[in-house]
Amino acid sequence: MSWSRVGFSSALLLFFFVVQEAAISKINFPIAGFSLYLCVVLGLMALEDRFGAISFGFIAGIVLDFSPSSDSPFGKWALILTIIGYLFSRNRESIGDFTERPMAFILLVTAGATISLTIFLITGLILGENNGSVLNNLKTIFGNGTWTLLFSSILLPIIVKLRSLTLSSRERI
Amino acid sequence: MAAGGNNRSRLLLVILLVTSLFLITLDLRGVNITSSSRSATQSFLAPIQRGVSDLFSPVGGFFSDIKNFGTTKSELKELKEENVKLREKVILNDDTLGQLKKLESVLDLAGRGNYKVVSARVIGKGSSTTFSQTITIDAGSSDGVLKDMTVIGELGLVGVVKSTTSSSAIVLLMSDPTFRVGVRIARSQSIGVLLGGGDSEYTLQLLDPSGTIEKGDVLLSLGSDNNKPFVPGVPVGFVKSVKNSRLTLTQEAVVSSYSNLGSIGVVSVIISSKNGGPKDALIPTPRPTPTKTIYVTPPPTLDLSDATANEENN
Repeated sequence: MSWSRVGFSSALLLFFFVVQEAAISKINFPIAGFSLYLCVVLGLMALEDRFGAISFGFIAGIVLDFSPSSDSPFGKWALILTIIGYLFSRNRESIGDFTERPMAFILLVTAGATISLTIFLITGLILGENNGSVLNNLKTIFGNGTWTLLFSSILLPIIVKLRSLTLSSRERI
Repeated sequence: MAAGGNNRSRLLLVILLVTSLFLITLDLRGVNITSSSRSATQSFLAPIQRGVSDLFSPVGGFFSDIKNFGTTKSELKELKEENVKLREKVILNDDTLGQLKKLESVLDLAGRGNYKVVSARVIGKGSSTTFSQTITIDAGSSDGVLKDMTVIGELGLVGVVKSTTSSSAIVLLMSDPTFRVGVRIARSQSIGVLLGGGDSEYTLQLLDPSGTIEKGDVLLSLGSDNNKPFVPGVPVGFVKSVKNSRLTLTQEAVVSSYSNLGSIGVVSVIISSKNGGPKDALIPTPRPTPTKTIYVTPPPTLDLSDATANEENN
């Protein structure tokens, strides 16, 4: 992962973070909200190698930790997305080439979003945070998962194209 | 080579996990990196949120603008454009009128309570990834809005100011699971605590073991020292149902809030309140329920005594 790619990916993440915070979170989605940012991050993470996925997860987590509406400790999302990045990189080889299996790609991103939010809640419990009723949290996770499943089919081809723009000619090979 | 790459990524994983845990520990120990970084983000995001809010408020107008882009100059199209513009104006007027109506109601409530308020528009909502229920408003410390000030809507309590920047503030909604407010039952003057539940229903825990709760009881905010975070006398909600459990020492009830937190457009932040608050002046008047009145007209019946008398005469 070259430095120019780190810079470009970070700028991309910041852009989607601003879109998420300023526009997407204003929409009242049925069931529960959709996180465009998480969908994009997981999509990009799934395309990276192990080194890239871990570092990308950490950067993406740090950006998400800046969310002004968040009450959780700074660094919590960084921890969670680093773990998710590692889990993605461990399992991606068994899934195969995503361009040939788009459905697997979509399901992986959806599962990733659901697992991330679940780990977020579990670590919150460990740290003594109050996140409300279990039923309500399950509704949020289910709602987010459903929207990720629906929107990722539209978003993921765009993410793949955006990522290919960041690749150097050597990395393309 | 592959083993080397694996070792390198493992080392990176360990370093990043340790860094994350270090950041969490720093935050939990109260090192001021979180609040300053998050308030800086909020300062950066507030103008964008305000712009997006202005853009998306009359959504119909925005899309019809795109639809009519590049139309020809024929008379029919000119008329269509004019029609679209008029429609946009109507939509914009509707939107402005809607906001004005809400603002009028909020100011009416604030006026009746003798509160000094700063009104603000809702420009953002908390993300689903944070599991917290917040809104962002377009008034901040430069308008006199400070942390721990009460926020009201057109019908009652909305939440409390969580943090501020110079031009915006984040409000913790009363539906947030961490939200707690001391309340007073208007009927019996018993006091209790209202807990946010993460959705539209709240739990009332009475502090007085001998106190009773009845369905329909109106709850008003109890107030805090120096009116922070809560001013007294703000309508909070009404009792929807009473929980009858022998396991708890005091009574509990399910409460519905007066404010519809899903559709707040305009709110007011209470800057100051008269000493003692408005007492019970803000208790919402019950809406008259329509009653059905049925008039029964008896059918004409034959008087038997008159009939026999007539027969005898004949």
